[in-house]
Amino acid sequence: MTRQTAVALLLATASTSAAPGPHRNFVACPIVRDTSTVPCWLAEYEGEQYFLTLQTDVSAPVNPPQLGHQVLVEGVVSNEPRICGGIVLKPVVLSVLPELDNSCSTVLPAEERYNLTFEPPRPPGPSKGRLAFDPPPQAAAARPAPEAAAGPRTFALQYDFDGLVAFRHAQQLQQIYEFALKSKTTRVEITAYRAASMLSNDTLFAEREDIGRRRAEQLASLLKDAGLPGVTIDVRWRDAARPDGVNDAALRRAEVLVK
Amino acid sequence: MRRVLVCLLAVLGCAGAVRLAAVDARIPARWWSPGDGARLPAYATYPNTWGDVGILNTGGAVATKGHAFFEPIGANGRACVTCHQPANGMSVSVAAIQERWKATKGTDPIFAAVDGMNCPDLPPGDPKSHSLLLERGLLRVFLPWPPARDDGTSVEPEFSIEVVRDPAGCNLNPRYGLNSPAPTVSVYRRPRPVANTKYFTHHNFGVFPFVGKGPLATVRDPETGLPTAMNMMADARVSTLKTQAVSAAQTHLGVAGALDAARLQQIVDFESQVFAAQVSHRAGGSLMEPGGPPGLGVRNLAAGAAGVLGNNTTQWVFPVGEVWKTLPVGAAPRDAERNRMRESIARGHDVFMFRTFWIKDVQHLNTVGLGNPTKRTCSTCHGMHMTGMDVANGWMDLGVTNLPWAREEPLNPWNERKPQMPLFKITCKATAPPHAFLGRVIYSQDPGRALITGKCADVGSIVMQQFRGLAARAPYFSNGSAETLRDLVDFYDRRFNIGYTSQEREDLINFLSAL
Repeated sequence: MTRQTAVALLLATASTSAAPGPHRNFVACPIVRDTSTVPCWLAEYEGEQYFLTLQTDVSAPVNPPQLGHQVLVEGVVSNEPRICGGIVLKPVVLSVLPELDNSCSTVLPAEERYNLTFEPPRPPGPSKGRLAFDPPPQAAAARPAPEAAAGPRTFALQYDFDGLVAFRHAQQLQQIYEFALKSKTTRVEITAYRAASMLSNDTLFAEREDIGRRRAEQLASLLKDAGLPGVTIDVRWRDAARPDGVNDAALRRAEVLVK
Repeated sequence: MRRVLVCLLAVLGCAGAVRLAAVDARIPARWWSPGDGARLPAYATYPNTWGDVGILNTGGAVATKGHAFFEPIGANGRACVTCHQPANGMSVSVAAIQERWKATKGTDPIFAAVDGMNCPDLPPGDPKSHSLLLERGLLRVFLPWPPARDDGTSVEPEFSIEVVRDPAGCNLNPRYGLNSPAPTVSVYRRPRPVANTKYFTHHNFGVFPFVGKGPLATVRDPETGLPTAMNMMADARVSTLKTQAVSAAQTHLGVAGALDAARLQQIVDFESQVFAAQVSHRAGGSLMEPGGPPGLGVRNLAAGAAGVLGNNTTQWVFPVGEVWKTLPVGAAPRDAERNRMRESIARGHDVFMFRTFWIKDVQHLNTVGLGNPTKRTCSTCHGMHMTGMDVANGWMDLGVTNLPWAREEPLNPWNERKPQMPLFKITCKATAPPHAFLGRVIYSQDPGRALITGKCADVGSIVMQQFRGLAARAPYFSNGSAETLRDLVDFYDRRFNIGYTSQEREDLINFLSAL
């Protein structure tokens, strides 16, 4: 290989890694593949298999999908080596669709060629060396300092497609609640959105019509039930901007303004 | 061939008979009657088929005379101790209930009509009227429908409930049933152990202002205002020892009005300091020896840290250590037998901690971010240090009461046994988030947490139980559907297609029997 070729290759690699890869937005049945350690989660789209995530724990940024349900995949094709045979989507957002689909039932056996080439973040059993709920050291170091409890402040919650508050939202709700208490606010404004996703086949995949209202009312109800005496909670809901197939997952949100 | 088959069947039959004899043998143990007046020692042991359960009162011996936990404080002659017997690890075993029936010809207050009978208007004194208590150790729990909040207002349920089968006769009863003037759902559940309470009333890990599964705002302690662990009772309908005592006094003991503060505090104080665990094993010997496994025995349990999520690095779920992993054969046959059992218990611990299988279709487990299925172990769900409960908000639908997994009587012309449990058809509204794995039409013997929240996704979710003192308080699961520890393990094996080897199964049972 000449020096010139090597430089060209490096430039090509740099260029590839700098620019975002093509987006893949699609709805499919998830597939779970066993390995000698933790399972991989995959999905097929137009004859290609994509790697979605590994089994980790509930604190992971991407939670695995569920057999028995279709999943909305919104991801970017990365240039990382395939994992478990699938093209790696990274970043990726996964939404488990609420309705049952019993045709989503594929569990593939472990095969030596699909063994992970790296140590999974968490073994399949108990925590082994790393405690499940201890963040990695770099994450702990990056943790922001506590902010002053003075309003106004806006909190944003991201939702699964057609989803309401989920297990992972409990900590965010706690932040909102504690901030509201500390700031002695008298008013909270909740604006929730109904959105859609532009699928890679140019289909507009829209959330159910009432989801914005339900998101707003659910948040208000949860905060009220937790106890915010003397606080007026206003709710509103609206349709989000039209999706462009690039950052659609971010449109499924609610904003909580603590005044 | 026929001869071989007969011999084989005979061998299996013998093995089965031995096993049954070992598990079902009735060992008389002390029954604590209301108003007994004796002192409950600071430390006492009671025999069971696996060895002895130990009851430790860290506050010292308890003078039970005049004590609100031990006296019949209501109208029906019961006390708290009636269903929370020291000899049964502070629950009550079906064997003890049957003994009590024989000893009193069915007149013991535990058989009170209100909930010790399948339905209160059945003929008294007839064992059939008490069949669920006598055969499965189940008390009737009657709950308003639609669910009522603490302030008396109704929850608008996300589903309708229809009675498909009512062998106990209570859910279709014009006075007590769903169509009565005060619509009520009757379900049948095991009394939970009132011991080791610091572990399920803690304010540590997992106790936050919001519960992700649900979701809901965490129920707060009305006295302190602090969020609770919501880890009590099968449906988490009350969440402090005090609110539980108030509720139980009214419903189970027939106390009119509220208990006075002094008696309530006496009950709470007692419950806060009593610990129960197996302390000796018939084959494995003492579980309390100095230098023995640091998680076994009642004294280690009492000293343990509450509200800790177990791991295998700093705080094991059940610390067993290495000491029993490899033991000398021993000179005497008795020592060899003891050491073999101890090694089996240690192996059973490893099965509990490390034997992976696919955990699948469990609402509030596979739905909380772990994925469905998830390849994990028993300790994934049973993760609380020292007890094996969930660390907080431990309700999930394992399939104990929901079809298709709930134990049902096989219906065929050759089986004379009839179904014992009620069966409800739950139909969820189209607008409600469905049960993740059963959808919007669910058949259930006990909708569990959904009878409190009215949520479709909660149908069949039951708060998981602690593992301590298991040997003293069969049967298991909220509906008493596992008669023995073997049945309990077999349920999981069937539910998750685990495929335990006979050695793994035996080791796991021995481990559970030593807790």
